Amino acid sequence: MAVTDQVAGEGGGKPLMSIGMRRMINHAAIFLTLIALWEFGSRIGWLDPLFYPRPTAILESFWRIYVTQANVWHHLYVSLGLVFIGFAAGSILGVGLGALVGFNPVVRRFLQPYVIVLEATPRIAVAPLLIAALGFGAPPKIAIIMLVCFFAPFINTLSGVVNVNEEKLELFRSMGASKMQTLRKLVLPEAVPVIMAGERLALTAALSGVLVAEFILRDQGIGALILTYTRNLNMASAFACIFTLTIIGFLIFKGMEVLDHRIAFWNHSDATDRMSEKRARAWGNLTGGRNV
Amino acid sequence: MLMETSEIAPAETAGIAPGAPIVHGTNVGKTFAGGSVVALEGATFDIAKGEFVSLVGPSGCGKSTLLRLISGLIDLSSGQMSVHGDPVKGPRTDVGMMFQKATLLEWRTAIENVLLPTELNGTITAKDKRHAAELLELVGLKDFMFSYPSQLSGGMQQRVALARLLQTGADVLLLDEPFGALDEFTREHLNVELMRIVAEFGATTIFVTHNITEAIFLADRVGVMTPRPGRLAAMVPVNFPRPRELSLQTTPEFNVLVEQVRNTLGSH
Repeated sequence: MAVTDQVAGEGGGKPLMSIGMRRMINHAAIFLTLIALWEFGSRIGWLDPLFYPRPTAILESFWRIYVTQANVWHHLYVSLGLVFIGFAAGSILGVGLGALVGFNPVVRRFLQPYVIVLEATPRIAVAPLLIAALGFGAPPKIAIIMLVCFFAPFINTLSGVVNVNEEKLELFRSMGASKMQTLRKLVLPEAVPVIMAGERLALTAALSGVLVAEFILRDQGIGALILTYTRNLNMASAFACIFTLTIIGFLIFKGMEVLDHRIAFWNHSDATDRMSEKRARAWGNLTGGRNV
Repeated sequence: MLMETSEIAPAETAGIAPGAPIVHGTNVGKTFAGGSVVALEGATFDIAKGEFVSLVGPSGCGKSTLLRLISGLIDLSSGQMSVHGDPVKGPRTDVGMMFQKATLLEWRTAIENVLLPTELNGTITAKDKRHAAELLELVGLKDFMFSYPSQLSGGMQQRVALARLLQTGADVLLLDEPFGALDEFTREHLNVELMRIVAEFGATTIFVTHNITEAIFLADRVGVMTPRPGRLAAMVPVNFPRPRELSLQTTPEFNVLVEQVRNTLGSH
């Protein structure tokens, strides 16, 4: 179908380097310069090496905590496990309750003021109370992560369900659709992109949530590890942990982006094109050999 | 072809069409806000099988209200209405509706959108899929069956909506300014195709518009509606032979009819 478009692009000859490639090289050059400045500044004493360790020292720490001492794996495993459980529980609860409240105007009216009040309260402030109530170990941590994960999916699902296109609702009514059909084939799919946006916020919040919980409880996990290293003035290792979190945060962000392209594909033109080709292949020939 | 007269008769008598009436209304009225807003008052009409009726009038004349009453999307406040002899109590499968916006589901391909009414009625068979494909071919979208709405132009989206309307199998088609949001050229083109398609299906069609030329060009009869309160002021027969070409719109006879409709609108 898009054959004509491709032909138009040919014959121009490829430039030696694509714009994206050149940009990459520029970024890398600036990044390496900054790192070199940091290293240099730390060596000649501009930066106090006690609080701002040299990049090479941080690299050494990376090697130690991941390879020679290999102690970070356990903490990562604990933290990410909690993030996953808390995120899943909190966001499922958020989406479920959001849908329930969204469909029920009476419940919505009565819950609205509480939702506004709770939304205005910083969730982290409640963390010490949860620990006091639930004690030590995983339960209070999961509760804290659930708490910070709950609201974005809840609010987004609620608004997605409430703001269904009126004309589409009328269309479904004119076709005699049942309530359940309208819910499954119109309301929920239409809310998917905004729900996905909520999940994205929730997963990022989950990562902060687990750190806060570990900072308070100081038992295990990457947050507790950062705390221990900092108190022992082993800043290079603390930095290695922080950069680890940077990488995890980035991977989460990218992962959610990929997921969003797959699930809410119709919001992204490239994903829509791919999906359209896929559907054409899956449905095959419907008009007796004359099609495709 | 059914009527020989061309003079404008008052709605009470000209509203009765020859042939078997498919849609019938007696003194149909609709009020909103507990009776304080009268949207439509005393509409009496009969629409015959296979007839194409346009409803034309300014905003607030109750033309969309009348369409929604026939579709069963809203309930009557007064009078009686029936489709195929059965009183209208709610949305029904023999009546289909198309809106100004295409209202396609963005997460479905064109053909999946067309199959929606079938899906809501049960399961989709291979035969249904072939039928939907034929309908898309009929509306000129053979090569866009697996395109998503965001990949289609506004005119193409309305074609999909038309195919979906035909897929319902309804023989009474209600169209509420279906091409009103499209540019003039696309609209004229789609109007011609619409006439061809509904004639092919033998469907009874009621077409709401605020464009007098369009109303006359398409219709066997034009229902002229006036506002405050909404009334069906007259039913104007249009006796030009079919198929009609766009050039019909520039003939003196056509312009005489335009003047008549305009005068009826203006005298109320």
